[in-house]
Amino acid sequence: MSWNLVKEVAEREIRTRACTKSFRIITGILVAAAIIGPIVSALWPEGGDDLRQVTVGLVDVEETTQHQIMAFAEGNLDLTFQDYTGLPPAQLDQALSDADIDVAIEGGPTLVWDRKTDFEIAGLLFAVLQQQEVLVRGRRLGLGEGDIVQLLTPVQVEERFADELHESDGVVEGVAFLGLMLALNIPLLFGQLTMMSVVEEKSTRVIEVLLGHIRPRTLLLGKVLGLGALGAAQLLVVVGGLTAALVLTSALEIPASVWRFMPILVVSTLGAIAVYNTLFALLGSLVSRQEDASQVIVPVFIPILGGFLAANASLVGNAESALAKALTLFPLTSPMMLPVRVARDAIAPWEIALSLGLLALGVLLLIRIAGRVYEFTLLHTGSRVGWSQMLRLSRGVALE
Amino acid sequence: MTRPRFHTMTGGLRVSGLHKRFGKIAALHGVDLEVARGQLVGFLGPNGAGKTTTMRGILGLVAMDAGSVTWDGRTMTEEDRHHIGYMPQERGLYPGMKVHEHISYIGRLAGLDRETADRRANHWAERVGLAERGKDLVQQLSTGNQQRVQLAVALVHEPELMILDEPFAGLDPVAVSMLSDVMAEQVEKGASVVFSSHQLELVQDLAEHVTIVAGGETRATGTVADLRYRSPRRQLEIRWTGPVPSWSPPEALAQEAPPGVSIFEVPAASDPAALIAQASLAGSVSAVSFQPPGLDEVFLELVGP
Repeated sequence: MSWNLVKEVAEREIRTRACTKSFRIITGILVAAAIIGPIVSALWPEGGDDLRQVTVGLVDVEETTQHQIMAFAEGNLDLTFQDYTGLPPAQLDQALSDADIDVAIEGGPTLVWDRKTDFEIAGLLFAVLQQQEVLVRGRRLGLGEGDIVQLLTPVQVEERFADELHESDGVVEGVAFLGLMLALNIPLLFGQLTMMSVVEEKSTRVIEVLLGHIRPRTLLLGKVLGLGALGAAQLLVVVGGLTAALVLTSALEIPASVWRFMPILVVSTLGAIAVYNTLFALLGSLVSRQEDASQVIVPVFIPILGGFLAANASLVGNAESALAKALTLFPLTSPMMLPVRVARDAIAPWEIALSLGLLALGVLLLIRIAGRVYEFTLLHTGSRVGWSQMLRLSRGVALE
Repeated sequence: MTRPRFHTMTGGLRVSGLHKRFGKIAALHGVDLEVARGQLVGFLGPNGAGKTTTMRGILGLVAMDAGSVTWDGRTMTEEDRHHIGYMPQERGLYPGMKVHEHISYIGRLAGLDRETADRRANHWAERVGLAERGKDLVQQLSTGNQQRVQLAVALVHEPELMILDEPFAGLDPVAVSMLSDVMAEQVEKGASVVFSSHQLELVQDLAEHVTIVAGGETRATGTVADLRYRSPRRQLEIRWTGPVPSWSPPEALAQEAPPGVSIFEVPAASDPAALIAQASLAGSVSAVSFQPPGLDEVFLELVGP
């Protein structure tokens, strides 16, 4: 293997791709998203203090009932009343249809909705109206005022949470999601660039000139390393921006798991770039035209997108399921699963080591297999090389 | 059929008994080719004869089933292949690369350091008439100019062996002249040059030696003159001063001719002096030529049905 030639090929790939407008735009967008995301989330006004505004229409409702409702709603709803007593029922219905009022109480008592029950409002109104009715019945039964009040005093039900909600939980989820997007998109982007580069060399026939001077494996390695280095640079710039933004917004409580997550994100995404670049280079060598490239990438997208969905599920759900653990060890999905589980603090150190080890092994194995296939497929023109032919080549069996 | 005849070479390329099958198709089954140092050889054959496969075999792009490729008397190595300049039949360039950068890049892949590669890229861009287009993208050039870039790419490392597959296809007369000159210069410097072409008149003018292949095997090899004189036929052309007589030589085949001229195809063993004497009895002869057939006719004799 001539490392000088590997370097020449890698440099050409870097120069060619880094100079394109689309590469600069994508990098700019990623960096902007990484920086702006945490800043916006830090500056976003805290929600939850504003009470929901509700307008209640009243038809023949006593004033005491109104006071009772107001007392119950305090701190939960911002209530306004409109009196429809004496007006035609159609006017009330129209007000509900036009959403001028959310609900109406007809002395009876009856709750009138436009189409369906709003359970938040209904719960409050039922409680008040039932209390009113119990009060009337209690009086009828001859109970004293004090007894009735004692009976109607609400039972205090305490609440307890197994895991306390921290303000920082949102930060972990946000940063991990951003990391997950990077771990999916940067390797996919550079994988596809590698594929385009291989197909371009085949379709323009420049490959014949190149292979007169350079071995297929050297060309493959130069391409994977060159575009891989460019992907790594883009990743580091974006992660650098993200880190800077987190430090700038240090008013937020940043949990330790976020800082553990960053290096794991970088290492596993670098591994993903190497895996996807090699895999897409191999796939590119199976076809002779850019138009045919979509035929061969679909089977690879299935595990990749499956991994992304599983990682996303682990981000908000169970990060220690058997599926999550299995996908953390599979090199095509581990670059997405591993950072998420680290961010969630739901992975043992030995699992991290094993996952990264298997990822490295996967890269080496894939380069070896791709090198074998590449030697044959690069000069193959016309119809695409079939999957069975590719498998035979990957085992070192020569084709006729 | 004329069988191949080889002379002893002191150095250069020697291809012997190349065999290659692609599935059920035998692409090559006995191709021999020799190109001595300082020699220009035309490699001729109809479409599908095996020329490109042979060239790819020499370059190591296609593994051969049998046969040998030697350079200066020893099996060609990967290092030797760094000294080959190759111009493929289907032009191969990066469309989005600048002309100068492209030539220099291939030079570096061929083992030149950056400074030398840049210097040579300048030199060859100028030599092929593209000095002003060095910063243009390859895709901005016309097809003919892209061919010039392809030639510069093949020459940038100043190879000892040049393999040019259909180098004249699609070139205008000016470019043909430039390419012919460059090939002659390389031969003058001691390089071995082998090129394929279907433009047989051009081959006859350029190459002293030719090898003709058909059906995956070598049918003939030698100097152009040798191959022409090996033909079993000769062309007798008689120019008359008066009316054209109805005379015809024995065993001759009359051919289409302009007014006042008779053209006959006669056996090579015919005696020209006797034929002239017979013609003089039949009419008033002003000029006679007795020539072997041209390379195009020899080619058809060897590869035709």
